[in-house]
Amino acid sequence: MRRLALLVFLLLMLAPESALAWKQEEGMSAAEVDQLSAEVAAQLRCPVCRNQSVLESSSGLAREMQSVIRDRLASGETPEEVRAYFVSRYGNWILLKPEPKGINLLVYLLPVAALLFGGVLLYYRIRRWTGATAPGPQASLAGLEVPDADPAPTQEGRAAEPTSPDGDGGLSEEEEEWIRQQIGSLG
Amino acid sequence: MKRFGRWLIPLLPIPALALLAFGLTRDVQVLPSAIVGEAAPEFHLETMAGDSLTLAGLDARVVVLNFWASWCIPCRQEHPALVRATEVYDDSNVRVLGVLYQDTPEGAERFMRRFGGEWETVLDPGTRTAIDFGVYGVPETFFIDADRRIAYKHIGPLSWEILQTKVDSLLAVGGA
Repeated sequence: MRRLALLVFLLLMLAPESALAWKQEEGMSAAEVDQLSAEVAAQLRCPVCRNQSVLESSSGLAREMQSVIRDRLASGETPEEVRAYFVSRYGNWILLKPEPKGINLLVYLLPVAALLFGGVLLYYRIRRWTGATAPGPQASLAGLEVPDADPAPTQEGRAAEPTSPDGDGGLSEEEEEWIRQQIGSLG
Repeated sequence: MKRFGRWLIPLLPIPALALLAFGLTRDVQVLPSAIVGEAAPEFHLETMAGDSLTLAGLDARVVVLNFWASWCIPCRQEHPALVRATEVYDDSNVRVLGVLYQDTPEGAERFMRRFGGEWETVLDPGTRTAIDFGVYGVPETFFIDADRRIAYKHIGPLSWEILQTKVDSLLAVGGA
């Protein structure tokens, strides 16, 4: 009894499979055709919309194009052949993603080239910036004006001045000279 | 190296700007057509009267294939040009044929009764023929020569001048 039930269960499991057998003889199941036609439709531009795929668009023409895609796939055409059909009618414009051929290559290569160039530029810039500050006081003090005695720089003002980046905390010769002058004017 | 780089940097945006300028100055309404110059796709369609009709079965030297719909306002605008074409040209020279685009035969019949015109219009169930011709919308008109190649494609309403120029140039090719 249990065996019979199992047999019936297995037969039921197989039933939809055999019902679809006629479709499979042609190559694909209905679900596969649907899946594949959705993939192709997503790659094609809807002619009456702006930047919407045939799959996304609900326009009448896009709907008809979807059914053309499905029919062609079901009749055994490959997705490439279906795409080629639409290109032959509407031109490359119909492809949402241009094929990487000829002038279209620019679209693919320019961003990479720009990124590489920017990276190299940035690398040399950063090297120059860090290189410029590394030698220390000479470079950073080049633009430093030695202020007059009046007004005397405040604590805050001093902090804003560039200090030697090598972190020795010491005063440069010019700073020492300036301090000496201040002391001298007091005395 | 440094000096070279300094000269190069201000020049860098120029190709990018040129590309941008090219892109922005193009008319986005003008869409490229892959089909002009190619053999016209064959079709086998029924007229509104119920007759079966194929492109190969037409014996006129030039076929003016006009995709239209009764809901299409520019189609009304170009209609007189088509009427005039059927009056001016002999049937053996120029055949005007309408292809109905996403419309009902009833709507098309009303349109033809209201605006006149004697030429036939075929029905295009499933828009298959329109897609075969790479039609974006209506009106679109294809001028098909004696070899059944698409010589010209006109997007938007036709004027009599445009129609006449194109048809005459195609008639001139074959000799009168």
